[in-house]
Amino acid sequence: FQDQAEQFFRSGHTNNWAVLVCTSRFWFNYRHVANTLSVYRSVKRLGIPDSHIVLMLADDMACNPRNPKPATVFSHKNMELNVYGDDVEVDYRSYEVTVENFLRVLTGRIPPSTPRSKRLLSDDRSNILIYMTGHGGNGFLKFQDSEEITNVELADAFEQMWQKRRYNELLFIIDTCQGASMYERFYSPNIMALASSQVGEDSLSHQPDLGIGVHLMDRYTFYVLEFLEEIHPASQTNMNDLFQVCPKSLCVSTPGHRTDLFQRDPQKVLITDFFGSVRKVEITTETVSLDRDVAGFESKFPEEELAPEPLKYAEQLPVAQIIHQKPKQKDWHPPGGFILGLWALIIMVFFKTYGIKHMKHVF
Amino acid sequence: MAAPLVLVVLAAVTVRAALYRSSLAVFIAERVEVASPLNAWKRVVEGLALLDLGVSPYSGAIFHETPLIIYLFHFLIEYAELVFMITDVLTAVALYLAIQDFNKVVFKKQKLLIELDKYAPDVAELIQTPMEMHYIPLKVALFYLLNPYTVMSCVAKSTCAINNSVIAFFILATIKGSAFLSAVFLALATYQSLYPLTLFAPALLYLLQRQFIPIKLKSKSFWLYTMQYASLYLCSLVVIICLSFFLLNSWDFIPSVYGFILSVPDLTPNIGLFWYFFAEMFEHFSLFFVCVFQINVFFYTIPLAIKLKEHPVFFMFVQLAIISIFKSYPTVGDVALYMAFLPVWSHLYRFLRNIFILSCVLIFCSFLFPVLWHLWIYAGSANSNFYYAITLTFNIGQILLISDYFYAFLRREYYLTHGLHLTRQDGTEAMLVLK
Repeated sequence: FQDQAEQFFRSGHTNNWAVLVCTSRFWFNYRHVANTLSVYRSVKRLGIPDSHIVLMLADDMACNPRNPKPATVFSHKNMELNVYGDDVEVDYRSYEVTVENFLRVLTGRIPPSTPRSKRLLSDDRSNILIYMTGHGGNGFLKFQDSEEITNVELADAFEQMWQKRRYNELLFIIDTCQGASMYERFYSPNIMALASSQVGEDSLSHQPDLGIGVHLMDRYTFYVLEFLEEIHPASQTNMNDLFQVCPKSLCVSTPGHRTDLFQRDPQKVLITDFFGSVRKVEITTETVSLDRDVAGFESKFPEEELAPEPLKYAEQLPVAQIIHQKPKQKDWHPPGGFILGLWALIIMVFFKTYGIKHMKHVF
Repeated sequence: MAAPLVLVVLAAVTVRAALYRSSLAVFIAERVEVASPLNAWKRVVEGLALLDLGVSPYSGAIFHETPLIIYLFHFLIEYAELVFMITDVLTAVALYLAIQDFNKVVFKKQKLLIELDKYAPDVAELIQTPMEMHYIPLKVALFYLLNPYTVMSCVAKSTCAINNSVIAFFILATIKGSAFLSAVFLALATYQSLYPLTLFAPALLYLLQRQFIPIKLKSKSFWLYTMQYASLYLCSLVVIICLSFFLLNSWDFIPSVYGFILSVPDLTPNIGLFWYFFAEMFEHFSLFFVCVFQINVFFYTIPLAIKLKEHPVFFMFVQLAIISIFKSYPTVGDVALYMAFLPVWSHLYRFLRNIFILSCVLIFCSFLFPVLWHLWIYAGSANSNFYYAITLTFNIGQILLISDYFYAFLRREYYLTHGLHLTRQDGTEAMLVLK
């Protein structure tokens, strides 16, 4: 039974968050919204509540005037799967989806007036799933047709998150053209990244629906959705299976992944560690004694990094010294040579104009 | 004539003092039409503060004033308002005295030409009489002091007032005939803002005329005098620049002041023509167009010198106007300076063709400037094109005003020598056009 209890500590997370971002607007980018909503649906189905999902959709497809089936967003042709449903909670909508807002959500540097539903209130035991889709290129992702986020910015944002202890582990999935360029620059620990295509390749869309008139989904996310539909909260499928989703024959582009920053073996990482919010609950009447060795992972933060005692805020600034400082008496004076030269010139001009005979009045 | 002048001065000082104490002072000080990056008061204060902190004021692109201004305001910064009011008064008095002398010169010349029978017989109504010219100096001082542009420029404490006063003293020195003082003030004016360099030609022409040296390229005395004047001017300029070096012990001020004026890096909107063009220009063309725009200021000197060599003071007026229209960072203070001269040419009124529409254009544009600025920057319902349209219209109005005066002046000169009723070869009435 001790072993079963050990299973509880396999991954270090206690809560799950998801940040799902669709960055393109306009009707012909229907598929990006459908992508994001499919991942939203899976993530919700597997247990992450709306309070722990930050859903950013740059445009409203369900109620778009061009939608022949209003209040629906389909992810499969023949309109088999309506991912919009009736309990979708969009947190950032329309023009609120900007690079600035996205980075603020990630780093937590949000104005105090932001409502809770718009905040990523993760802590150092949160596993976060970040899914982004839209149009991108080598090293950037386009937001709303007017701005871009670069891979360097994203990597720095994740590093900020790491330094602020805002995640335990992070899974980053991106479905855009040349998506692999977006995870090239990550340098913070515990990040696993998947992308739908390598640098130089385009991610292609799946099928158009002739009834709606646009492409409904992108290939990569379509196959990921198919894969996720078979996952249930108790499934033991691991990340290696996710890496096999959508081979080149189906996806035309080559999906990529990056696990070098991740400390655990992807074989041991469950899909539900990121996509679901699985409560490990077992009812037992036995008592179990847990000691520190049960935890199967090393402490992530070496002891030296922790400060010996936390500094109280007030002591960090020598306030008493600052407010009683006298202002510095540095005053600039023009050099003596300049003053002498200037006035000598002025006097010379004066006497040249008015004649030397005035000299005797001066002296 | 002293008493009315004193009255005018008092009225002007009252208006300025009242505006200083009102809440409009802050509003006016921020307006881009009045304060440009070259002469804003905020920047002077910033530069002096940087100096107090031990940093060169020319580091960073904030401060673009010459070291002599640093020296002047280092001691006078608490009395800044007084300084600007006194500067305006000095400018007006200098212009007053200059125009008084100029009137005397005009009379003498007119008398000479009448006695030499150079005028046609029927031009009696065109000749200027002492009666009508008696109040012109006072009007000039009035126009300068009570011009809303000058008042706004003074309330905003823009150092354009100091530039104007140096140019006014230069004009006074030139008209009084003192080549030395005129060279010194011209050097100071060029040192302050680069463009008064073009005033060298009219000043030289005036002084040559005063010395009765004929302006022929082969004449030795012409070249001798030109060389003397030019060497006086260049020596004073060099002396002033070297003296400025000793203020801060660095040559930093040269790229900060003259490099800034010539290369126009700051594209804050103003009433000039440079900012919009350069805001939307590709990088690799900007050098070419900067050169073109700057040459445009200096370009009109030689043709105007050839055409107006008999009338150097009018040439000076036109040149001042060209400087204030085409310079890289014009403000309304520069406009006020040449507008102060308009009463001197009030006898040309009957020949001006477009004066009504041009004055309307100028007045309306002056009112529309703040409106469209507000619409662009604050309300967001207009964009820079709107503001630039008004800038363009204002400048076109100014250019047409100057060309109108130019036409009227030349027309009067033609009538003076050829008679008022011009006939063509077949006897019908002829009309003069400016080709």
